[in-house]
Amino acid sequence: MAYGWDLEAEEYDREFSDRALLKRILSYFGPYKRSMAIVIFFITISSLTSAFVPVLISVIINNLETNKNILYLIFIVILILILNLLSWVFNYFQQRHSFRVVGGVVLDLRRDATNAVLNHDLSFFDRNPTGKIVSRVNSDSDTFGTTVDLSIQLVSSILIVLFLLIIMFFINLILTLAMIISVPMFFVLALSFRKIARKRTLLGQRALASVNDFVKESFSGIRIAKTFRQEEKLYEKFNKVNDTSYKVSLRRAFVLNAIFPSLGIIQGIVITLLVFYGGNSVLGGEISAGDLNLFLQGLNYLFFPLLSIASFWPTFQAGMSASERIFALIDTVPIVVQTDNIVPSRLKGEIEIKNLIFHYEKNKKVFDNFNLSIGPGESVAIVGHTGAGKSSLAKLIARFYEFQGGDILVDGISIRNYDLKEYRTQIGIIPQSPFLFADTIENNIKYCCKNANREDVYNALNITSGIDWIEDISNGLETNIGERGSRLSMGQRQLVVFARVLLEGPSILILDEATASVDPFTETKIQDALQKTIEGRTSIIIAHRLWTVRHVDRIIVLDNGKIIEEGNHEILMAKGGKYAELYNTYFRHQSLQYIQELCERKA
Amino acid sequence: MQNKKSNPIYTNYVEFSPGRDPFEKSRKKGSRRWILSHIFYGSNKLFIIIVLFTTIVASNLSSITLVVIGNAVTDFLIGNESSLQFYVITILLLSIGTPILRLINYMLREVIAQRLERDCRKEFYANLLGKSQSFHDQQKIGELMARATDDVRTMNYLISPAISLIFESFTALIIPLFYIVSFYPSQLIFAPLIFTVSFYFSLKSYIKKIGPVTGRLRSFYGMMNATLNEALTGIEVVKATAQEYKESEKYFEHAKSYRDAFVEQGYIEAKYLPILLLALTITGGLIHAIILNFYGLINIGQIIAYLGLLALLRFPTFISIFVFAIIRLAVSSAQRLLELMNIKTEIDENIEGYSKLIEGDIKFENVTFFYPGNEKPVLKNVSFEIQAGHTLAIVGTTGSGKTTLAKLISRLYDVNEGKILIDNIDIRNYALKSLRNQISHVDQDVFLFSTSIFENISFGHASSIEKVIEVAKEAQAHDFILNLPEQYDSEVGERGVQLSGGERQRIAIARAFLVDPKILILDDSTSAIDSNTEDQIQKAIRNILKNRTTILITHRLSQIRWADLIIVLKAGEIIAKGTHEELLKTSEEYQRIFIKKFDVKIEELIKQCEET
Repeated sequence: MAYGWDLEAEEYDREFSDRALLKRILSYFGPYKRSMAIVIFFITISSLTSAFVPVLISVIINNLETNKNILYLIFIVILILILNLLSWVFNYFQQRHSFRVVGGVVLDLRRDATNAVLNHDLSFFDRNPTGKIVSRVNSDSDTFGTTVDLSIQLVSSILIVLFLLIIMFFINLILTLAMIISVPMFFVLALSFRKIARKRTLLGQRALASVNDFVKESFSGIRIAKTFRQEEKLYEKFNKVNDTSYKVSLRRAFVLNAIFPSLGIIQGIVITLLVFYGGNSVLGGEISAGDLNLFLQGLNYLFFPLLSIASFWPTFQAGMSASERIFALIDTVPIVVQTDNIVPSRLKGEIEIKNLIFHYEKNKKVFDNFNLSIGPGESVAIVGHTGAGKSSLAKLIARFYEFQGGDILVDGISIRNYDLKEYRTQIGIIPQSPFLFADTIENNIKYCCKNANREDVYNALNITSGIDWIEDISNGLETNIGERGSRLSMGQRQLVVFARVLLEGPSILILDEATASVDPFTETKIQDALQKTIEGRTSIIIAHRLWTVRHVDRIIVLDNGKIIEEGNHEILMAKGGKYAELYNTYFRHQSLQYIQELCERKA
Repeated sequence: MQNKKSNPIYTNYVEFSPGRDPFEKSRKKGSRRWILSHIFYGSNKLFIIIVLFTTIVASNLSSITLVVIGNAVTDFLIGNESSLQFYVITILLLSIGTPILRLINYMLREVIAQRLERDCRKEFYANLLGKSQSFHDQQKIGELMARATDDVRTMNYLISPAISLIFESFTALIIPLFYIVSFYPSQLIFAPLIFTVSFYFSLKSYIKKIGPVTGRLRSFYGMMNATLNEALTGIEVVKATAQEYKESEKYFEHAKSYRDAFVEQGYIEAKYLPILLLALTITGGLIHAIILNFYGLINIGQIIAYLGLLALLRFPTFISIFVFAIIRLAVSSAQRLLELMNIKTEIDENIEGYSKLIEGDIKFENVTFFYPGNEKPVLKNVSFEIQAGHTLAIVGTTGSGKTTLAKLISRLYDVNEGKILIDNIDIRNYALKSLRNQISHVDQDVFLFSTSIFENISFGHASSIEKVIEVAKEAQAHDFILNLPEQYDSEVGERGVQLSGGERQRIAIARAFLVDPKILILDDSTSAIDSNTEDQIQKAIRNILKNRTTILITHRLSQIRWADLIIVLKAGEIIAKGTHEELLKTSEEYQRIFIKKFDVKIEELIKQCEET
């Protein structure tokens, strides 16, 4: 665990009241009540025993000074030995349980956070970047754990300080006062350093981030730099950035390194005071040498605990903020809420959208009184400019977002009334850029269905695109395709997803066609897979392919959330309206005609 | 003709070097030597001496302070009043002087540490700049960044605090011993000496046990991050397939393993013996001192001083808990840095080679190529010829070898079998500089620097704005640039204008126009199928193809159709070669593409061609 004198910790604005937050945090310790009790018990007696040792040493010295009673001395020495051993043993048990408690609490927090996050609606992920969420779940919980540990250490530190000071108080008031002076001085010094340290640390972080960015850019564009012989220039710029980072870091380091010596100076002054007053008292016969030794040694015993206490507050705040951020994750109110739990039998795939009203944000209505009927097994292509509402429609049917008015009925029942997870298993969704897991091709295809075996996977592939392209890949179905499936091409990823959807066998298919071009061989396979996948199920396709609009049952042209044209390709082209315009802008160049038209040869 | 099949000749080919490299030799001698050469570099030597000196002096001062205190107590017990003033002043000076000395010490060690970081980073960066393109093609940017910032930073921590703390601990273990021997009965050295020995052994055992656990903690944490990150990035899929529970379980497994390793680490830390050893040592010393006191060999003041000297051992005891972790991290960072820096490249610059203006005839003769370290060939027996000024289109799926083929022309790698000829001369006989200067690449993922559009187009070539506008017009980029807030001065990148894929591509094409190479390699494989600026992009591409030999890697059937020569690659082999008309008649695979795509019969397709 960290030795944690974190004088550079940041404080964020907090919304929870301290009380409410503490209450909630404490509830996580509930299951560990027994261990916590053990920890507190052992910490107390461990602190007391270790604080007792210097006292006993001073007793010995006093005895040596006065009457040198051997038996008494032997007794005390044995006592000291026992206390040393006990102190270590108590500390051992305390640490073991303490780690168990912290580890358990952090695990519980992480589990709750992850569960909550995975079950949030999609709108949550629109608002919160993945990186930040992961950081909250993993890293903030870590910070929290460190704070808990430090809080436990704090109890020990406080006990030691209190105990020693009380004893010293009874021995000699003035000397105790001399020691107590150091306490506020410690605090003031530590806290004022904190401010400066934080500022310098931020500057240091920024400088290092600049270096990071520069390195990133240099090596991203290294080919261009080399092609145009720009290495020299890059090197010069780099040196400037690097030197700045050096200077800033050096200044920061100077500040941070001044802390311990400064505290050491305070210590030195206090020791001098002790020698002065203590010396006088010894000379005057008011205190014994042993007591003086206790005071002198006491300062050493107090140093580390005092430092822990001084740097505790900012670390504590950091921990509270961290827990607050995690609770904020968990507490997000779900927007998509089901009103019933009907488990659908095999859906026919009849979709009825009635007077739909939907907006992502307050002012921008996407759909206003929108109506659409799709029959079971029908294939519908949706076209329109960006922002017309195409993807929104698909996402609403999948129940990724909540609509504000009207209703969407599938097989006559509102999709709000279905059991959400069962409903979703009957809907196959293929997004624009298909996401694959860093796993084998086989496992990616089987992802939806626990009971699928390799034969099922082969079948699904065979039906959609054929399996020959798999054999060209190094390990076939067992190939690990890397993060996000990066070892496969865009087109190949699409083929995997088509196979997965076929294996899932949904009643309704929602497909958002990819816009990236794909090599001609894979393109033909994708067309095959598409044809097979839309067979026999209701399909809603946001179309970008010429082939698609030519082969679906119906085309719907959306503009600003309204259907302005409907029909098939030939009819709509003949009309010469919006569809024809869209065709000429987006689809025409996929046609053979267009290719033939490019007669301009290079001279 | 050099036949570099399996053992290429490695040389220290360096494409850039900023002057004398003082660390060149030490890099090859292992991480320890390398680190040491940095520590002792230049004026650091003086600082190190001062640091060592001040550390030793400060330690001495601490010990002296204690001796003085002991003498003070002795004097006070006797009743010597006059000595009080002397002692107070002396102790004040000593107690304040020691921290001040420490301050100087820390400042200087910081300078050494920060310099180490700065110089390591500089060395790393320059070294990487000098590496060939083939090296860079194999690196992940994220990795390079982590090395250059984080790993180099760890080296800083190696000095400050790690090594300096170790040295301080060492002096704190040794120097008090001298004072004990000098001022007090020598046998009192017994207790601290036993401590030092037992401390060494228990520390060794502790480090051995905790190392693997810390490693496991780090790796589980990494897995937690990776799993959660993946599930959230693909949350749509997770929700669509209703697999939230599965992902949650996956994550929980890793989090549980982390917790178990965490608890295990706690067990090991709880058993940390040196703390107990220290307490026993102080007690043992006390007993020893008491006995000596009974024999009259030592007085009370001296006992107090002796106990104080023993207490100085607390410093190394507590510091050692975490200092070794830092050292371990630093050494592994150093190894990673050296690993990268010591990679050699296999291409030599061939200064004596041909250096002439290229016409642009390209010929591949039975070329076979393996990536270094791989067994499966990426290209197998590839042969073709493209005449100067013509366009070659390469068609194939991912992994078919298209991009590799293009890389070989620039000699980013050398072929294993066969040869590549430009203007009938083997490219290995050209001076590398001359060869590369005349071949340009327009890449798949166009990289633009975060500077102005003008600078991105004119990159490296001093050009007038008129010339830049001229090429921008040819590349069909001029119009959209005019629509930007500051037109040619607009900044690109994170803090600037966001450009679409098609717009970036046209800027790269403008750049290529400016360079006007004889051979152009244009990788167009990530275009969009539904771009509304398709006409402009087509025009830009057709413009750039004129009057130069172009290797075109594209999916655009329009471009393929009009190429002078088309090669169809599958698994590294050419399965079809010819013009569009020839391939339609002879290659089944090629036919299938066009038939399926356009839903027409083969006869119609051939008829259309003959009409043109």
